[in-house]
Amino acid sequence: MSSTRSGRRRRTARALWFFPVPALALYLFFFVYPVLQAVQYSLTDWDGYSADYADVGLRNFTRLATGDDTFANAVGNNLKLTVTVVLAQTALGLLLALWLVRTTRASTLLRAVFFLPTVLSSVSVAFVWRFVYDPDGGLLNSVLRAVGLDSLQSVYLGNPDTAVFWLALTQVWFHAGQMMVVFIAGLQAIPKELYEAAELDGAGRFARFRYVTWPLVAPATAIVVAYTTVQSFKAFDLVLGLSGNPPNPALDILSTRIYTTFSNNQFGYAAAQSLVFMALIALVTRVQRRAIGRATR
Amino acid sequence: MNRSLDRRSAFRLFGAAGVGLGLAACAGPGGGSSGASGGASPSALATSGPVKGTVSFAHWRAEDKAVFADLIKAFAKKYPDAGVEQDIAPSADYQSTALRRIQGSKTGDVFTAFRGAQFEQMVKARVYAPLTGTELLDRYQKNLIGPGAQGGTQYGLPYQLVFNMPLANTDALDKAGHTSAPKDWDGFLQLLDDLAAKGYTPIAWPGGDSANAGQLLNPMVMNNAPTDDAFARIESGDYKVTDDWFLTTLEQYAQLRPYFQERATGSSTDATAQLFASGRAGLLATGSFQMASVRALGAKFPFDLVAPVTTTAAKAKYEGVFNTTFILGVNTATEVQPAAHAFLEFLSDPEHAGAYANGTGQHLTVEGVEYTNADLKAVEPWLTRKTLLAPRFQFLDLDIRTAVENATVAVVGGKKPAQAAEEAQRVIDQKRS
Repeated sequence: MSSTRSGRRRRTARALWFFPVPALALYLFFFVYPVLQAVQYSLTDWDGYSADYADVGLRNFTRLATGDDTFANAVGNNLKLTVTVVLAQTALGLLLALWLVRTTRASTLLRAVFFLPTVLSSVSVAFVWRFVYDPDGGLLNSVLRAVGLDSLQSVYLGNPDTAVFWLALTQVWFHAGQMMVVFIAGLQAIPKELYEAAELDGAGRFARFRYVTWPLVAPATAIVVAYTTVQSFKAFDLVLGLSGNPPNPALDILSTRIYTTFSNNQFGYAAAQSLVFMALIALVTRVQRRAIGRATR
Repeated sequence: MNRSLDRRSAFRLFGAAGVGLGLAACAGPGGGSSGASGGASPSALATSGPVKGTVSFAHWRAEDKAVFADLIKAFAKKYPDAGVEQDIAPSADYQSTALRRIQGSKTGDVFTAFRGAQFEQMVKARVYAPLTGTELLDRYQKNLIGPGAQGGTQYGLPYQLVFNMPLANTDALDKAGHTSAPKDWDGFLQLLDDLAAKGYTPIAWPGGDSANAGQLLNPMVMNNAPTDDAFARIESGDYKVTDDWFLTTLEQYAQLRPYFQERATGSSTDATAQLFASGRAGLLATGSFQMASVRALGAKFPFDLVAPVTTTAAKAKYEGVFNTTFILGVNTATEVQPAAHAFLEFLSDPEHAGAYANGTGQHLTVEGVEYTNADLKAVEPWLTRKTLLAPRFQFLDLDIRTAVENATVAVVGGKKPAQAAEEAQRVIDQKRS
């Protein structure tokens, strides 16, 4: 009897090994395989369509590191975009969440309004904002002209020094509502008793935020920051929609740079760029997680 | 026999799968081996056989979809066993992804290519079935289909004939006292001054749209460049953008600054087309391919074309710039080659080509087309003038083209020509290495 039971247990234990197989197979096929393939391509000069190619060793990576201003420009633009978007989107998302955390009719309506841009396609958003930024008949300059602030009119995306910040503004408008929802979920999970206790201890509004809200909303902040970072690195369609293909160098970010390289039929070089891109996202996300952990400790 | 797997076997299985996947991933790109030869030339187009099956027609002209749909209906009437489905991608996407889609799937039994880099790649990838020796070629103007040939073989048929030079509002030009196009640079600047004096924006230029900002560069270099293939020579390293002739061009761009609409480096093509269509601008610095869309925006005035002649009249070699593009061809891998050939033949018929030309506002390279569209008739004289094949499309590397064109945008934005040229040359040198 007992040997039958232990045999059944053994079989069950063996069977458990097969439960992760579907997920593992998908992971291997859709992630590991393409990454390995990218590594292989990155060591060649393959053009994307010929049977001919040559192994070039690490030359693609050396070129990336030392002899490609367009790639360095894209890295710079992307870092500016990421820092701006992460700071602005996180702050705005948290402010909106703090404002609208209580569920009332008005706050429900406002949450929907702020969330609305998120459901739009990025191409539609790009087209709308292209009109907003148009220096001649665009919305922003028209409004500035109408209220007599002509001197504040700008060329927006046409100014290479500031174009990336206008791109960041569009990205923040597009996704701040989504981040607000994540923060609201985080805020609603904080027990009210903690605020009551803090209040009894004489904590003011800022102290309650600093010592109760901020540490306890940290998991939501980590999600928002990580998600926003990845989003900023992949703002591909928004850039192409705003600037065309290939984009204006002032708006060229890593994802669009890789796309242009693919379009130029330099698959080997584009694969090397993609691997650096992946490593950069991993590095930035890691640094951010540590920074958030330290800030909320 | 115990058929169940133990933990060790499971690990072995996963390990084997992983190694297999790794080896498959490292098998090498392109389906060939390192250093494999290029393979045989593609076989010639099959022009006979039963015309049946559905032909996929890949192109980028969404604005021509309805006109093509009418032609396809007529084609299906003529060949009841055959049909055509349009597979349309936006032009920027088409430029980037068409080769992969046409080469890797059943899309594009009949397809098109942009002149220059895309056509070269498609020939190299052997997706064009050679047309040399077919009767199709006799239906086209021989002097205009060169961009569809390579190494003495005709692979594609450039269908559209466009003029990549500023579109003019002739009412505005008349009011400014100019009934004919200026013959030299001083005359061109005078025209712009006179347009400005009459309250017009002299030139509407989409400096914020990378696809169209560079169109103006075509006529700006047509007479400045030391040779007709100057841009190809920049790419090959024989010429530099820091050479005098290109610096002169950039300095002339700087001279044009006050004549563009305000803050032109941020303007989109749509906004500038609107500005021109509303009658507030004298010139639209894109090309004849925008006539139909400008008319659709409500333009009431007649059109002409005016190219900036950047030299003295005596030194000018060309009056304008043209381009032949939308290079039609048949896919070597198609299973419906006779039907694909029949569709190409159908489009090459002067009557059907005329329906396309007049319906879409495009001149064509097909022999004997009768233009009834008023705008096409207005610019028809340009078909026989001394024009240069648009140099912009000599660039085969997108990054080099962007660097050169961006130098012109930077100059209009206020950068010194020499500095803009040096920055562009640095990128060119890197891309060539």
